[in-house]
Amino acid sequence: MTTPTRPSLDDPALTIALEHAGIFEPIPMARTERQQEFYTLGDGEMLLNMGPQHPSTHGVLRVVLKISGEQVVDLDPVLGYLHRGVEKIAENSDFHHIISQLDPLEYISSLFCEWSPVMSFEKLLDVQVPRRAEYIRVLTGELNRIASHMLFLGWYALDLGGITPILWSFAERDEIMEMLAAVTGAKLLFNYFRIGGVNGDLNHEFMSRLGDWMGRAGAQLEAGMGLLNENEIFVRRARGLGVLDRETALRMCTTGPNLRASGVPFDIRRAHPYSVYPELEFDIPTRNEGDSLARYLLRMDEVRQSLRIIDQCLHQMPDGPIMARLPRLLRPRPGRAYSAVEGPRGQYSCYAMSDGTDQPFRLRIHDPSFLHLQLVGLLMPGNLIADTMAIMASLDPVMGGVDK
Amino acid sequence: MDRAFRALIERTFGDLLTGPVRQRHDETEMRIRPGDVPAVVRTLHDDPALGFEYLGDLAGVDTGTDFQVVYHLWSVVTPDWLRVIADGIPRDQPRIPSITFLWKGAEWMEREAYDMFGLVFEGNRDLRRIYLPDDFVSFPLRKDFHLPDDASRSPGGGVRPMEDAATPADAAAATVRRTATAR
Repeated sequence: MTTPTRPSLDDPALTIALEHAGIFEPIPMARTERQQEFYTLGDGEMLLNMGPQHPSTHGVLRVVLKISGEQVVDLDPVLGYLHRGVEKIAENSDFHHIISQLDPLEYISSLFCEWSPVMSFEKLLDVQVPRRAEYIRVLTGELNRIASHMLFLGWYALDLGGITPILWSFAERDEIMEMLAAVTGAKLLFNYFRIGGVNGDLNHEFMSRLGDWMGRAGAQLEAGMGLLNENEIFVRRARGLGVLDRETALRMCTTGPNLRASGVPFDIRRAHPYSVYPELEFDIPTRNEGDSLARYLLRMDEVRQSLRIIDQCLHQMPDGPIMARLPRLLRPRPGRAYSAVEGPRGQYSCYAMSDGTDQPFRLRIHDPSFLHLQLVGLLMPGNLIADTMAIMASLDPVMGGVDK
Repeated sequence: MDRAFRALIERTFGDLLTGPVRQRHDETEMRIRPGDVPAVVRTLHDDPALGFEYLGDLAGVDTGTDFQVVYHLWSVVTPDWLRVIADGIPRDQPRIPSITFLWKGAEWMEREAYDMFGLVFEGNRDLRRIYLPDDFVSFPLRKDFHLPDDASRSPGGGVRPMEDAATPADAAAATVRRTATAR
């Protein structure tokens, strides 16, 4: 056997190999150490392009896989297909206008994208949000969390080849979305939170839908989860897949359910309390396995906790105004503010700088999906190609948030 | 605001601080030189009295005159967010040490800051553009980036004087006004 040759990047043979592998434009030159390492092929290795239009990429994502037979050796996600430059848009918009631009970031759980920037603007302005508004935020936020986790359940099963769960979970999600549509006026991109409160008070339609749903939600959600929780095919497929240990999770800046599934009980609702969460009773579910199954089960545990929170919100909902008194044109005094909320995917945070004008000087949006997608490159090596989507989907990234 | 924590930071870092430790709402803010980032971050992470093992965010900032990199950290020892500002990165030499030796997850956030501001993080082994195409030439979140889109110049869009390449004099004035009030 001849010694394996490692073709360099200006090697025409490699260019041809890349073209055959489905990467149509040959990669010009390695810019970094890591890129050099990735695009240098070892013996028997080849590159395979997945996406940007792949049925299970959860948005528009392209992943270049380096494979050896059926095994993934390494991968390189290529982002930016959904990049809109929200931070730049925000620097050129009025504080009120920004909120509607933030919704499409994470179109599965829009309320959380609005929440952290709104909170940081309130800090810049030193506004006290009325208690009723805070309760409404928590109530609608938790509903949105359940809707998001239900969609995760369906998607995850779909990525693993099961069709039925998404039909069940979409029915659940649709009920919640109809409810939120009744109170916010939109079914997907809510544009509901305002600086100093919320856009509209809870109305009769919302309350009657919610009351109706709460009566059967517990049993209905359990039935949906039961399709997978005790499904032997699913459990054996997901167990031990993509194990993320505690130290790596912290080193990779993981947040949310993915971090808690690795045994770190970090939830911003408790670690750095905001809104009215200190007044509410709920547990932080944690699991130690750190595999795909743990990540899935942890989200299902969170759904149960969210139901508890909604129940308490309904019982403790105070009367009063839903908006603080604020001028139309907001000019916060110069300063900086940072705020973070715990969303269904992890930490959504926002860093806002004001220079005293009606537009932020700098608005930094931090999205958990971005960092979780980075994890895929760490968890994948050694697994089969078919596991790529199984692992990626268990981390639950949403490309709208990744690409901003 | 955690006053005891401010004292702890002042005691621990002393000379490394380039400005007063500021506190507002639930945030504590410290300013350091960009070259000191690895040492400071290492201490924050490893010292058991501090224990900042959770990196909340990494953001690049263009103040109009120079660059900053802003880190947000969380720890059990304080209810505040800790904001570390690496201040005064010169425009013509935008270099700062990377923190990927401690938080590998910062790699993509640094790539993003490179993509948007052209900040070069020394030690990041994958510093290339992440959102924009590789052949993109400028850095869109810099204040001297000129929006090519006419819509942004309309009064409704409200373009900032600092982004208008035709009026650098205004840019300087706006910067001075901002820094005079914000610091």
